[in-house]
Amino acid sequence: MSKFIDRPRYLCALGGAIGTLENLPRTIPILHAAAGCGGNISNALNYASGYLGSGYCAGQALSSSNVYEQEIVFGGEDRLCEQVENTLKIMDGDLYFLVSGCMVEMIGDDVKGVAKKFKDRDVALLAADTGGFHGNSFKGYDIVLGTLFKEFTLKKDVKNEKLLNLWGIVPIQDVFWKGNLENLKRLLEELGYQVNTFFGENETLDNLKNAGSAVLNIVVSDTAGIEPAKLFEEVHGVPYISVPLPIGPHGTEQFIRSISNRLGIEKAFADKVIQRHKARYFSYIERIADVYNDLDLQRYAVIVGDSSYAQALTRFLSDDLGWLPELVVITDILSEEQKEDVRKRFADLESGLSPRIVFDTDTSSIIRHFRDTWPSANGSKYFNTFSPAFILGSAFERALADELKAPHLSVTYPISNRVVMDRAYTGYDGAIRLTEDIFTTLVGTR
Amino acid sequence: MDYIREKAPPVREDRLKACNAFGGSCCELNRIGKKGCLNGVKRTFAQTQGCQLNLSLAILNTIRNAVIVVHAPIGCGGSSLSTAGISKNFQKLRDPNAKGLIWLNTNLDDNDVVGGGEEKLRSAVLYAESEFRPEAIIVVNSCVPAIIGDDIDSILNDLQKQISAKIVPIHCEGFKTKIMASAYDSVYHGILRNLLDKPEDTRKEIYEDELEILKEKYRKSRTVNILNVSSMSRQDEEELTRLVKALGLEVRIYPCYASADDFAYVDDAALNVSICATHDDYFVEHIKEKYGIPFVLRSIPIGIKNTDQWILDIAKFFGLEENAKRLVEAEAKELREALEPFKEQLKGKRVFLGGGEIRILSTAELLQSMGMEVVGLKGYHYDHFAEPLLELVENSENIIFNVATGQPFEQANLLKRLEPDLYVGHTGTNGYTAKQGFPIYPLFGQSSIYMGYLGAYEIVRRIARVLKNPIFNRNFIGNSRLPYRDEWYGQNPFTYIDDSAAL
Repeated sequence: MSKFIDRPRYLCALGGAIGTLENLPRTIPILHAAAGCGGNISNALNYASGYLGSGYCAGQALSSSNVYEQEIVFGGEDRLCEQVENTLKIMDGDLYFLVSGCMVEMIGDDVKGVAKKFKDRDVALLAADTGGFHGNSFKGYDIVLGTLFKEFTLKKDVKNEKLLNLWGIVPIQDVFWKGNLENLKRLLEELGYQVNTFFGENETLDNLKNAGSAVLNIVVSDTAGIEPAKLFEEVHGVPYISVPLPIGPHGTEQFIRSISNRLGIEKAFADKVIQRHKARYFSYIERIADVYNDLDLQRYAVIVGDSSYAQALTRFLSDDLGWLPELVVITDILSEEQKEDVRKRFADLESGLSPRIVFDTDTSSIIRHFRDTWPSANGSKYFNTFSPAFILGSAFERALADELKAPHLSVTYPISNRVVMDRAYTGYDGAIRLTEDIFTTLVGTR
Repeated sequence: MDYIREKAPPVREDRLKACNAFGGSCCELNRIGKKGCLNGVKRTFAQTQGCQLNLSLAILNTIRNAVIVVHAPIGCGGSSLSTAGISKNFQKLRDPNAKGLIWLNTNLDDNDVVGGGEEKLRSAVLYAESEFRPEAIIVVNSCVPAIIGDDIDSILNDLQKQISAKIVPIHCEGFKTKIMASAYDSVYHGILRNLLDKPEDTRKEIYEDELEILKEKYRKSRTVNILNVSSMSRQDEEELTRLVKALGLEVRIYPCYASADDFAYVDDAALNVSICATHDDYFVEHIKEKYGIPFVLRSIPIGIKNTDQWILDIAKFFGLEENAKRLVEAEAKELREALEPFKEQLKGKRVFLGGGEIRILSTAELLQSMGMEVVGLKGYHYDHFAEPLLELVENSENIIFNVATGQPFEQANLLKRLEPDLYVGHTGTNGYTAKQGFPIYPLFGQSSIYMGYLGAYEIVRRIARVLKNPIFNRNFIGNSRLPYRDEWYGQNPFTYIDDSAAL
């Protein structure tokens, strides 16, 4: 049974659905919900994810049926029909997508039924039940992707041997999603493939429409996007592989190896790509060989975030930067089975370190887990303190950082203290960016 | 006014006949509004907005030493994700040790929708008590538990016996009202019912003699409560405090950024002073009913005329009119001289303002006094409190008034027709307006000063600065587009306002 959450780091299923739809090209979400749902969600999406902005058709521009007491009593489908009709007249998009909030589902309004009423129109109009109580943002992402794959992606009997789909990096929940997708896409292009990511630069809805001809789906997550991947396989006969989010040479090499093995790419060819990127990576990283060692910039670390980032950051700090991640707090809502899958990602660190992994959704618990991890000095003169240290987490972790007197960088949602545009942390290039950001924080007072 | 025995306050559609859909001239609005005809008007196309839960949180999130429990599915209250950081900073301006914003969400899921969410509410409240030991636990009720029939009041009554924090239920279910500003009543209702009781008074022993008691009485008779709003800045408070203190009065500030326990002493004052009727009428009327403390509610201290009026209203109560007249004359004279150099630049500039009815009208008056031309206004809602301000605005027969909570599609259309030189707007709609290329000054801000004489100067000074280089927004023209079809801009902007159901 689920429990209350202290400062949740996600929205509801509807929030995840909106966050997903608003980042698809020329897509117009239509909310069938109470008036405040869209406004509340937009504040969280815009201002807590590196100032994403109000988007093409998001924020207060979201079309919404704004149901009130009257509709809750008498039913809101008529109001929704009217709203859809007028949305088609006013809003300019290539895909319209009806999503429902809690209230209308509880009174039994049928958004899919309403969408069907418009099926003779020359317009792509889909619908999904995304009532907030079905789950959190990740659930909303899964529901929307599942619906798109089932109803929007065309069935293709002939596969394109050089086409891949990649998802699992959840827009907004991963504040750096756009850059992250772009970096991974470029890596796979270097392996000789075309890649649809649906949310990436220069992609259109056609990428989604034609995704059915891919030979493999790559889900860059152990949890997000897995359900839609199963559905995709069922509907389009395309298998999937689940790989962890890669940040840094160690993680990215694993990423390339798993995918090339699966695709039967020659090892020598993959080696070349890896070597080329490593050479570039080290040509930059060696610049800080001086300052790292002159100033003793190895750090203990606490990592807080979702399961994707938690394992990626841990591996990067441990195996690439040579730091000491001691405590990792994973804040998603996960099933026991999912937790097991996630835990495995921490088992094979090259450093041999085994940081304490905790699954906890509550922000106030983090300091408690820290105290359980690292004993306090209790006034001893000689004591092996948790210092020097660094905190990688969300904007919430500033309080933890203050308490531990350690510097802090926000890399996981929510991020209200940074502006994020095309910055990316994935792959080799992303690791250079992350190194810049971390070490800039360390030398920031000089 | 006395709704305080009810569990929840009435919504503003009922209590104030407030409306949120209208398009026409200011005059027309004034005329029709007076008849109370706008109540049933609705839109056949609508964009999302906030609900009273969102706005309730904007106020409640400021309260120090409180924990908020949002009784809802996991997304409700998500807007707090974006304000947690600054909430703490702003709380620290009042108390360096402030802990910042802490909220729990009861995470109602599919099972709870069937079985009820009462157990989760109970465990969240108990956790809040044991983990944070706050002065108050504020429980914000959302749509879902209202529909599934969670009896939050009796659960919380029961819990109150077990814990020392004061429990404050807030009934602000979003679907109950179109008027977001109903939130102010919901929040004040919860405060009035739950935070006003004094603790067992031990202070009697502190007074050593009769003289002390007399002094205390005198102090109270010279003390005013200024009722702030969450969109105000600390500098705004300092400016208003400066002006009221100049009359020889003491000032205390409620409700935003007060500590939860402070509310028990809200009656240690002679007068409640609102800065905005949209926020405070429910509170001051009830406090008058309960403690016999009168109030001032007429105007918002934005712009010279309104600030003068605000001070004179306060002074009148204390018989300090002569002092006040001298004060406002001296302040206004000094300010007018300071504003003079900006007039040349601003003269004739055409401006559109959007946001809360009281705020846009008072700001419009200030800008008109600078020689600017007001071409349009958008009020988030409309009720009778706007009438006196509407009458202060010059040339109102030629000014378009759109009543709309958000609804940027109507505004985009209007702005394209009106082509103002400046847009002064509420957060949430400024981004779209920027993409249309217009220079923008935000209608309010928590890091800048807008109120009193210093505020008037600052608004003008900043607008002059914005207009000095409006290129950032202008660059969006041709490079960014809004999601509306081209045909929309050719239609009447109020096409989708349906007044067939108007009373």
